[in-house]
Amino acid sequence: MKRKLLSLLLVGAMTATMFAGCGGGSDEPAADNAADDAANDAADDTADDAADDTADDAADDTADDASDDSASSGGGSLTVYAWDTSFNIPALQAAADDYKANVNPDFSLEIVEQPDSKGVEQAITLAGSSGDYSTLPDIVLFQDHYIQNYVADYPDAWQSIDGIDIDWNDFSAEKLDYSTIDGVHYGVPVDNGNAVCAYRVDLLEQCGYTIDDLTGCTWEKFIEIGEKVYAETGKYLMTINADGNDLVYIMLQAEGESQFKDGEPYITENETLVKIVDILVEMAQKNVLYLANSWSDYCDQAIVGDMVAGVMNGNWILPTISKVEANSGKWELTSIPTIEGGEGYASNGGSSLYLTSNCKDAELAKDFLAYTFGGSTETYDNALRNGGVVTTCISAGKSDVYNEGVAFFNDQPIYSKIVEMGANVPIVEQNNYHYSARNYIGTAIINILQNGYSTADALKEAEEQLRFEMGL
Amino acid sequence: MGENNKKSGKSILAKQQRAGWLFLAPATLLIVIMSFWPIIQAVFTSLKTGSSASMTWSNPIINNYTRMFADKVFMRSVGNTFFYLIIQVPVMLIIAILLAQLLNNKDLKFKGFFRTCVFLPCATSLVSYSLIFKSLFATQGLINTILVNLGILENNFNFLGNGSSAKVVIIIALIWRWTGYNMVFFLAGLQNIEYSVYEAAKIDGANGWKTFWSITVPLLRPTIIMTFIMSINGTLQLFDESVNLTNGGPANATITMSHYIYNNSFGEGVANFGYASAMAFFVFILVAILSLINMKVGDKRD
Repeated sequence: MKRKLLSLLLVGAMTATMFAGCGGGSDEPAADNAADDAANDAADDTADDAADDTADDAADDTADDASDDSASSGGGSLTVYAWDTSFNIPALQAAADDYKANVNPDFSLEIVEQPDSKGVEQAITLAGSSGDYSTLPDIVLFQDHYIQNYVADYPDAWQSIDGIDIDWNDFSAEKLDYSTIDGVHYGVPVDNGNAVCAYRVDLLEQCGYTIDDLTGCTWEKFIEIGEKVYAETGKYLMTINADGNDLVYIMLQAEGESQFKDGEPYITENETLVKIVDILVEMAQKNVLYLANSWSDYCDQAIVGDMVAGVMNGNWILPTISKVEANSGKWELTSIPTIEGGEGYASNGGSSLYLTSNCKDAELAKDFLAYTFGGSTETYDNALRNGGVVTTCISAGKSDVYNEGVAFFNDQPIYSKIVEMGANVPIVEQNNYHYSARNYIGTAIINILQNGYSTADALKEAEEQLRFEMGL
Repeated sequence: MGENNKKSGKSILAKQQRAGWLFLAPATLLIVIMSFWPIIQAVFTSLKTGSSASMTWSNPIINNYTRMFADKVFMRSVGNTFFYLIIQVPVMLIIAILLAQLLNNKDLKFKGFFRTCVFLPCATSLVSYSLIFKSLFATQGLINTILVNLGILENNFNFLGNGSSAKVVIIIALIWRWTGYNMVFFLAGLQNIEYSVYEAAKIDGANGWKTFWSITVPLLRPTIIMTFIMSINGTLQLFDESVNLTNGGPANATITMSHYIYNNSFGEGVANFGYASAMAFFVFILVAILSLINMKVGDKRD
């Protein structure tokens, strides 16, 4: 009898602990379903109401996250998601210090570090999927190329920053083009994705060229120089990561063209694009272009491994180049070559700060963003000093810090040059399928180089697959 | 035996049964909540489309399922996965069975040491061994350096940047990682075979090769079937190697089904959970069919 009692007790205890254990968890799916249904059936406003309703609960939930004041309760504190401790997090810290010192001494900014930019995207996806936006911080740093996609898919996750006190004419128009949706501003620019061409001037000299020969030259001339550089020094004048393919997009934008036209893929019909693909194939065949297998190979093997005499990418690649200390003083920057000759300007990557729908004190957030990233030289100078973050704000780019020469780049004042070049970047049509298009064109280039495709066939396949993915 | 005894026996049995169910209940409940319910949910998700914030039923309802057969990248990933399956599984199992046979030799010295050596790869994590293979086969990696210094290659060869060689590298990596794992099962199976059977064969004049095919293989049949099913299942869900070694490239030459499903749900851009779930069910059905065939073909129990 005793044993029976004992076993019953045991079973009872087991079930009890189990239910206690999954009690919290099993509540959630139900809530999710309800929220999902609500989101499905109802229009935006009801979802907003729901968000408001859950806000109070959320305050409790996030209490353990936010140390003192919860994100939603205001009181001079904001939370923000960012992902790079050596790049954008120091920039945010600089802005917080600036705002605290000069505007609001009670202000505090809690920067929540994410593993990478994907971490922020997944946080939005998670909140959108569950219909519970109360998990989001006040502000998120978000990749420019993805933001339009995410605003379209998760409209309830964001709020516009209309009425913010910023002179938008002081910013690179191309950069603002990403964060402006249907004429409404959603984001404040932080960094600058302006593409640069960096070359090893010592190696160019060895082959009888200067950086001026590569400034505003044609791609034809570039290939000619590249062949000579490879023959004399064994280094490639250009490199690319074969699976991501930044170059096509950069070269295309420098021509003022896009992979899209009127919302549809513009590939096989796009003579400029076809020409660029041919140029890249020719460059690879003539050992002017080194095809790295992946992004890590691109950084660690090609650039840090000192295999190249030139790099073309967003200026955020400069810290990677600077890792090879032996080459200090041997690099210089210039603009991008073009098909017909003349200086080309483009931008690749970069991110801006966006307000989520969970930000309760939008006035404070807007004031903070307007004062700091809206044009404060103190913020931008410290962002550059501590994180190497270059601004797209034209007036802030004229400060003394920006005009200092950088020893690694042969004492060239590269930062003011980057800001200056950024103002010239042409606006091209953007699309939610930007990265997909890039991937398919990258695949096409590999197919031409390795699998014996003709340019026309390879690009036709790329266009078909892109259209398929877009559901056209 | 008296009636009383019988009655009480029955009631004891009933009690035991009740207790059994009682013990089973918590685990069953957990499996239903944690596994079966999400699976059922996934069926519904696979019939929907749109962003995960506002999913709507797709039109026609099986659109996600018909879509995947028109998706060239997905079909490519199916082809790649079957390529790995057809080449890698038989080669790996044959090597495993031969190694097991060798290491089962009674007169072999340092048996424990050798067994450990063969099994050791299984102790490494999938991601770290993929990364090690990546650096081994890199253009400036160890394998290239050795081959160039031996004069077999003239120039460094970009193994992972070339479709066919990248596939071969993945297969080599898989064989390295999983052979020892399967060998352990074979070793266990071999130790269940009476040594006297081999002695009898020896007396009858059978050579080693004949003994292997007429005694070892038939007696190992259940183990072979089990390892086959496990390997097929594992290969169809291949993910880490494709992601970490080659990232699916070059030009999707090495992408696997699971990798493509991942790309559609958590990979690039906005999640497409409906389509990803539909593809996941495709893999599920494939595994079921292949395992069924395997069991029907292999099941010859006397």
